[in-house]
Amino acid sequence: MQEDLLDILCCPLDKHDLELEATERDEEEILTGTLTCTECGEAYPIEDGIPNLLPPDMREESPA
Amino acid sequence: MADGDGRDHRDPERTQAVYDEIADHFAETRAYPWPEVEAFLDGVDGAGVALDIGCGNGRHTALLADCAERAVGFDISRELLATASGRMAEDGWRADLLQGDAATLPLRSECVDVAVYVATVHHLPDRESRVASLRELARVLDGRALVSAWSTAHDRFEAHGGSEPEGFDTTVDWTLPGGETVERFYHIYAPEEFEADLRAAGLSVAEAFVSSGNCYAEVSA
Repeated sequence: MQEDLLDILCCPLDKHDLELEATERDEEEILTGTLTCTECGEAYPIEDGIPNLLPPDMREESPA
Repeated sequence: MADGDGRDHRDPERTQAVYDEIADHFAETRAYPWPEVEAFLDGVDGAGVALDIGCGNGRHTALLADCAERAVGFDISRELLATASGRMAEDGWRADLLQGDAATLPLRSECVDVAVYVATVHHLPDRESRVASLRELARVLDGRALVSAWSTAHDRFEAHGGSEPEGFDTTVDWTLPGGETVERFYHIYAPEEFEADLRAAGLSVAEAFVSSGNCYAEVSA
């Protein structure tokens, strides 16, 4: 994902802002990292450049 | 009804698993955009943010990328998003891909100028979650959207139909190349019911029609 995508993203649960922590980048693209809700603290992973913003109860804990 | 894992066939997590399983084959068979979507987007240009809810392999996201500064492809299945990502690299267009549940969109209110939500809302398990999802579309939308769902008017459902068909729940098999079949949950919409759900979600219906066995509506928030 590109960093400015944050301008339109929010927490799927309470719709508050997300904070980005990038752990792996490729130029403009964030490949791996975490998006954390500034309100409820729920953390959403970014894997292979794609944020997983499924509600936590629908998220698979381990990759298939 | 439950599958081998004991999961209800309506469970969104099951729908997610099913599309993860059939993603490659499904994506191969979904090469072309629907003419109804092309017609809706005809004349749309210079939009800021365009959203494709239930983007699958990205066949409609590619059209959105042509008419907006930022196209967003949204799907519950990571495997389908991977096919969209591959298609993007192959065909040279760009969109942001997001994994999520259509019933709780991770997007800010009124940030979307144009949206397509086709052949997806019928996979949500009950009226409550379908209307909640449409309400989410209304929340994020600051422009127009095209929504579609499988219709009782489709030839396939004639046995259920008649002159005043009612919507119903069913499962539809997907047959993989090896012959294995995977069931997918659908709510088949009667056209009147489809419009009623859109209105219940707070969407204004500019135009509603049935085409190729699908209910369609052009809506705004």
